[in-house]
Formats: sequence, C-alpha cells, structure tokens
Amino acid sequence: MEEEQQTFVSKARTAFHSAAAKAERVLLDFKSDREDHDKQSSPNTFTGQQPEAESPHTDENDSKLHSESKHIKWRPPHLGIKQDWQDKIKNIRRGRKEVEDTDKVGDASMAIPFYDDNLYLLNVKNDLEAKASEAMPSVEGLTAATKDPIPPSSVLKQLAIAVEAGSKAKSMKDVIASPGGSSPARERAGLSLSAVKALVLREKEDKLTSEFTSNEKVVQLINSLFDPEGDFLRRKIDSNLEETAMTSLPRDIHGAPPESLVVKLAEILGNYKTLRKMALFWCRVVAELRKLWFEEQYLPGVPQDEIPDLKSCLLYQQFQVINCCISRKRFRIIATESLDSMMMQANSDIKESTDCSAEASASPVLYARLNSGELVLRLGADHPAGDMTLLETGEPVYSPITQEGPLLTEDLIRETEEFVLRTGSVGAGCSQLLSDMQAFKAANPGCILEDFVRWHSPPDWTDNEASTEDSDVFDSGEPLSARGQLSRRMQKEGNLWRELWETSKPVPAVKQAPLFDEDLAVEGILNAFEEMHPSDLFGQLFVSLLGLGFGIAEPMLSGNSDFSKLFYDCKEYIITACQNNKLNEKVDGLVQVYETVEKMLLNPEEALKMIKQTEESTTVTGEPRSPFKRLSLIFGGKDKLLRKSVSKDQTNDEEKSGRQSFSSFFDSKSSLFGKKPPKSGSPSPSEKSSIDTGWPVV
Amino acid sequence: MDSSSEHQEFDYLFKLLMIGDSGVGKSSLLLSFTSDAFEDLSPTIGVDFKVKYVTMGGKKLKLAIWDTAGQERFRTLTNSYYRGAQGIIMVYDVTRRDTFTNLSEIWAKEIDLYSTNQDCIKMLVGNKVDKEGDRVVTKKEGIDFAREYGCLFIECSAKTRVNVQQCFEELVLKILDTPSLIAEGSKGVKKNIFKERPPQSDASTSSCC
Repeated sequence: MEEEQQTFVSKARTAFHSAAAKAERVLLDFKSDREDHDKQSSPNTFTGQQPEAESPHTDENDSKLHSESKHIKWRPPHLGIKQDWQDKIKNIRRGRKEVEDTDKVGDASMAIPFYDDNLYLLNVKNDLEAKASEAMPSVEGLTAATKDPIPPSSVLKQLAIAVEAGSKAKSMKDVIASPGGSSPARERAGLSLSAVKALVLREKEDKLTSEFTSNEKVVQLINSLFDPEGDFLRRKIDSNLEETAMTSLPRDIHGAPPESLVVKLAEILGNYKTLRKMALFWCRVVAELRKLWFEEQYLPGVPQDEIPDLKSCLLYQQFQVINCCISRKRFRIIATESLDSMMMQANSDIKESTDCSAEASASPVLYARLNSGELVLRLGADHPAGDMTLLETGEPVYSPITQEGPLLTEDLIRETEEFVLRTGSVGAGCSQLLSDMQAFKAANPGCILEDFVRWHSPPDWTDNEASTEDSDVFDSGEPLSARGQLSRRMQKEGNLWRELWETSKPVPAVKQAPLFDEDLAVEGILNAFEEMHPSDLFGQLFVSLLGLGFGIAEPMLSGNSDFSKLFYDCKEYIITACQNNKLNEKVDGLVQVYETVEKMLLNPEEALKMIKQTEESTTVTGEPRSPFKRLSLIFGGKDKLLRKSVSKDQTNDEEKSGRQSFSSFFDSKSSLFGKKPPKSGSPSPSEKSSIDTGWPVV
Repeated sequence: MDSSSEHQEFDYLFKLLMIGDSGVGKSSLLLSFTSDAFEDLSPTIGVDFKVKYVTMGGKKLKLAIWDTAGQERFRTLTNSYYRGAQGIIMVYDVTRRDTFTNLSEIWAKEIDLYSTNQDCIKMLVGNKVDKEGDRVVTKKEGIDFAREYGCLFIECSAKTRVNVQQCFEELVLKILDTPSLIAEGSKGVKKNIFKERPPQSDASTSSCC
C-alpha cells in the first residue's frame, strides 16, 4: 500500500515537473514551517526525493534551452545573501527569455500533459476517497473534476456559502482567527497579516495552520495554479463558439474571462469545505503573488500587457495591473540600457570625430544639427514623426519615447474622480504634458514650442499654404510666419502651454521622475488583497465561476430544441442578477439556476420532465408574465419538499444564538437550502453589505 | 442664471462626459452652459470639470460635467473618466470635416472600449454653427449619423449660445427617462451624504501644478 502511494506521489510530481523544486522553495520561504518539518523528520524524505524528481525530467529533455531553463527553475534559492538574490533574479530573467524563445519555436513536448491509465484510475480512487472522508482538495481531485463539462454545482454552492458567511465577518483575519473565540478575534482585527500569522502560529491553532500551509496538497495546488506552462483546470470549450458570445458574458456579469487565474482560483477555493481553509488558501495565494512580483514573473492566466478591463471584476483588473507593471519595468530596463549604451557610443564617437569631423555621423546614434552647425545628441528618440521638420533648423522631427499613463482599476478611478471633484485639482494633465515636453526637447534639439504643438496638438497649428484666415497676429519672426502659425487660442496671454514649455528641460522619458509608480501601485494592490473583505473576494470568485459554467454550457445547449429556451431564460436571469449590486441576496437563486443548467447537461431526461411539469402548471395558470416568474415556478416546484423543513429551520435559527446559527451553516445539510430564492423586486434588507462597496487602498 | 451655492441639496447626481477632437469647442460649450459666457479658451490640459445645479421635472440635479482634452496623447488620462458616466456628449466642429469623421473613427470606439454603462445616453453635438459661411458638415449628415449610432443630436454655437441650454437639458431629460440611470444617480447622492463631503460649487476654477 505504501509503495503504491509513493509511486502515485512520484508520478504526480513528475506530471507536474516543477512541483518539487517549488515546494522546496516554499518550505525555505517559511522558516517556521521548516522547523516543524525538522521535528517531524519530513525534510529527509523530501530531500531524498529531490534527485528522483529531477533525473527523469533531465532524461526526457533533449534541447539545451529546455534543460537550462529547468535547471534555473530547480536551483534552490539562497535566502539572506543579497548577492545570491541578485544573481537569482538575473538568472530568472535569462530563464524567462529562454523559455520565451522555446515557446516561439513551438516545442510541442512541453505542452503534452503527462497522463496514463494508472494515474487515471488513481485519480478516480482518490476522488472517491476525498468525497468519503471530506479530505482537502488536491491537484488530482480537481483534475479529475475537469472531466465534467462544467464545474460541479457543489463548488459554486460552497462559494455561495462563503459569500453569505463572509458578509457577517469583519475581515479575512477574523475568519482565520475565529476558532480562537470572539474576544481574541477582536484584538487581532487591527493587526497586520504577518502579526496575525505570528499569533495564530503561536497559539493552539498553530499546528493546524502550519499543517495547512505546508500541506502537500496545498503546495501542489499553488504550484499548479501558478504554473505558466501547465494546463491545470483546463476544460474543453467549443472551438466553434462565436467569439463575441464567449467574451461578452463574463463582462456582462462583471466576472473574469474563462481559464483566467481568477476562474481557476474560484474553482480551487470552492472545493474547500470550511471558510477558514478558504481564507488560509487565499493568504497562501497572496504570499505567492508577492513572490512573483518580487521576482518580476508574470501571473499566468492574465494578459501580460493590457490596461485594466473595467468590465471584468476588480480582482481580475488588479491581476492585470500587476502583469502590466512587470512589463513596464522590463521595458524601462531595456530602454535605459539602450540609452546608456547610446551615450557611451556617442562619447567614443566624439573622440574619433576629433580626428576626422567629416565622419561624425554614426548610424546607431542619432544627432541633430543646430543652426550654429553644432551636432547635438538626440536622447530618447523613438521614430521619425512623418515628414515633419523643425521650423528653425530644418532637422527631422522625432517622436520621443514617452511615459505611459496610469493603470487605474475601477476603485482607483472612483477615488481619483472624487479627489478631483473635491479639490479642483487637475494636475495629472499638466504633469503628463510637462513630461511630454521634456521628452520632446531631448529628442529634438533646437525645437521650439511651435514644433511641439505641431506634434502634440496638430489642430492648433495652421500651415500658411492652406490658411485663408486674416492674420491678426503680429509677425513674431519671418521664418515662423512664412510657414504657419499657432491657433488663436494657443497664442493667448497666460497660456499654460507656453509657461510649461519654458519650464521644461530636455530630459528623456526613462530619466524622468515616473508619473506612475509601479512599485507603489502593486504594493497597494497586494495590501488590498490582504485586507480584502471575505464577501468581496468570494463574491467575485462566485460570479467568475458562474460565468465559466454558462460560457461552456451555451454552445452545448443553444442548439438543443428542448433546452435552448430555458437556458437563455437562465442566462438572462444571471445577467440581470449580477448587474444588480446586491449579490449577497441573490447567490442562492443563482446557485439554483446553475443547478438547472447542470441538470440539462448531465441529466437531460430528468430536466425534460421538470420542464414538462412546469409547462403543465403554466398552462393551467396561463402564460407567465416574465422569465423570472417562469424560473420561480421551476424552483418553486423543485423546493416543494424542502419548504416544510425550511420553515422549521428558520424557526430553529431564530431560537439559537448568533454563534450557533453561524455554525449551522456548515454543520447542517439542510441549511444549504435555508433561504428561499430571492424574489425580483423584493425590498432589500439594509443590514447586508453591498458587494460593490469599495475597500480602502493603503 | 440659476442660483448656486455650496452644500446645496439635490435629489440626483449625474456624471456627464464631453469628448471629441481637440479644438471643436468642448470647453467653450461647457463654459457657455455653466456661466453664460464665451471665451476663446486655451487648450484643455488633460481633464477639467464643472459642477452645475439645475432643476428639471421638479427634481434638483447636481451635474458633474467632465471636459476632456481631445489630443491623442491625453487619452491615457481621459480614458478612465468614461467609467460610470450617465451621459456622454460627442462634439464636432461643423467647419472641420475631420472632426466629424473622427466621431466614428475614434470616439465611438473609445465609448465602446471604456464606457461601463450600457444604458448611458449619448448626444451628438455639432458646434460653431455661427460660422455658417464656413460650414462643411450639413445638418442632415449629423442627423443621419445620430440615427445610425442611436444617439440624440443637436447643433449649437457656444459663441452665440444658440441651443446650448437645450443641448444639456435634452440630455438630462433623457437620463431622467431611464430607470437604471435614475437609480445610479440616487446612489451617488447616498454615497455623497454618507461620506459627509460638501458638494462643489459650480464653475469651479481649475488650478494646476
């Protein structure tokens, strides 16, 4: 038996080739966890398996690039030594490039997942065992679940429970610390996450928490979730699906794109059985995000260089910002190195040009000649700006490399807007304009304001040959008036553009103070993740997973004459419900709608019977006024048997104290159906917090 | 001119956004509406805004009107102001055909990309009709575009103030006809009261760094 388990574990690690190395890194990152392992003698077993995990992979690999990249990944990090860390970061960057090169070549072997019949049988067995003993979710269990066409409704139901329970908690820290009792929880509410971790680790939950964090299944889940090359939790999505249909639903309900990091995270968290473990896993994810940011590695399942999509959920927007900031940092490094090497070459060119001034022009280095005949180096020039030439010197105009705008998620946009409204400050525009002017001056020595306006604001310049206006303006100089003039509004006295122009110095964009600080932005996001309210997190994950299920189901059911009508009624229901801001009141109804879709896919005959029964009752009472009434008929019929028990549960809940009713959420099966589906248009209780409530960003 | 003072109470808060090519007269149009004045204003740098209180249909409204710079380089700043706007005013200059062409080439696409409000009311405005002798875009062309794009349409002149009031009134009346936008406007009021922030007076002057 043990041998079989070891073989299984070994194969699982081989299947997820970098799991062992990453697990070791995780263990080293948490010293206290390692101490526990020392006590339990686990490190010996772990280190013993390390060579075994490495060697099969090395044998399988033929290409050197692949081997090098794997070697880089396998190299254990050395904590505490700054030089080692710097070397490690450099290696990671090289590794990243090498991996990208491999991707370009299209190495199919990397994409082929490891799979055999024995593993499948073990998956089935393991899955059954998991169900029987309510074990924690594992990579194998979740992988087996992807055989289902859409995520199981039990996963969505668990997220719904978390949304409702989370709305009653003060914070994620409360959820983690709640077994300790209410009084200690209050004290901990104001502490930082690391302090809470320290307290938790020292108290009675110490063993349980550290066991969770270092649990092998948890480590494997984290590694699989963040494996950029893996196909973990990938499902078959109909390739014939219209692109607009697939991408529009997640945005209509403010969810996340299918197969994105958010959706995969939702599926993992929905498989945990307790709110506390869900919270602990989220903290583990945040720790991993911090590490990826520190190592400047992209988050998988998120676009690498896209501005936040305001129609997706905030969590997805924040992931987009993290990846976009990594791209910007990388670009700035490249641009700075390019500029520095250009200046070094210019210096060496100057030495050479002393001997032979006729050959001063070197192709990689750009110069502009002033009216005095002096050659000045162009800094930060990107590309020629069409056919434009500088008015005074006749040199070509170059568009400069400019700083990029801010990366704002929806909460920051709201804050910015409120700030501007409250203070009247519109400084962001001035800062950007000044930055552009400085970059333009650096790239175009000898330029004047009119040159900048021609580049930045073409409508404010009129060429003389095309102009039929009477000139009310005095000639400011024959060369200027000969070619054109600024617009009247640009020539006004006190025009801020001219004042900024005279203030600006020639400084290329990469040398300027940043308009948008990537480190500050991502640190704010990571802090927001740690402070995120449970109902906010689980609400977004719930909606994202809901969107995935419906997105996959649509091509399967839209062509089915029996089910397409009902499916689109369900879809319309979820879109309307999710666009409303009071998600907490609707999660039960949404779960039931999801179960209906699941039934149409997995048990079409039973679903067909249900539809016929509904149609019969509809015929008696007349056509329903709206799709929602029709849906309520369906769910009403389904819940007939549960109504009596529901009323009993409600009576019991009223008698119990707050704690008992809270615990009954997780202990009693009937409590899963404790709430009736919300009626559309019913008055909303003011006590429940809105999912749309913004949270503070540090 | 409507009387306005700080801390004025209101029933709804609506966010309006003005977009269009640089130099078509967005800022002058806004100034004409909020102050009954006309000036040849310097080009807007980034974003500016004005607040106006109006009474319509028995309701007191606070309008936060965002004025954006039309230059391409400023779009990275102005993109974020589309979020949550209940009304969007697309302005072109009847004496410059390129500003009309760019409505479909640029500005309609920006709305599709960045507007998060499916029900937001869009209004097409042809400005500078006082320069009838220089007109190159006919009223019919404007009407056809508005019909095809599904938005309101009006021609006006910020200089002579022809149709300026009607422009904003028509837009706001349409917003008041839309239940989901009314709900958002009420939510804005609640948030404002909850945070205990005094509303800005109208015609706020912009100050820069």
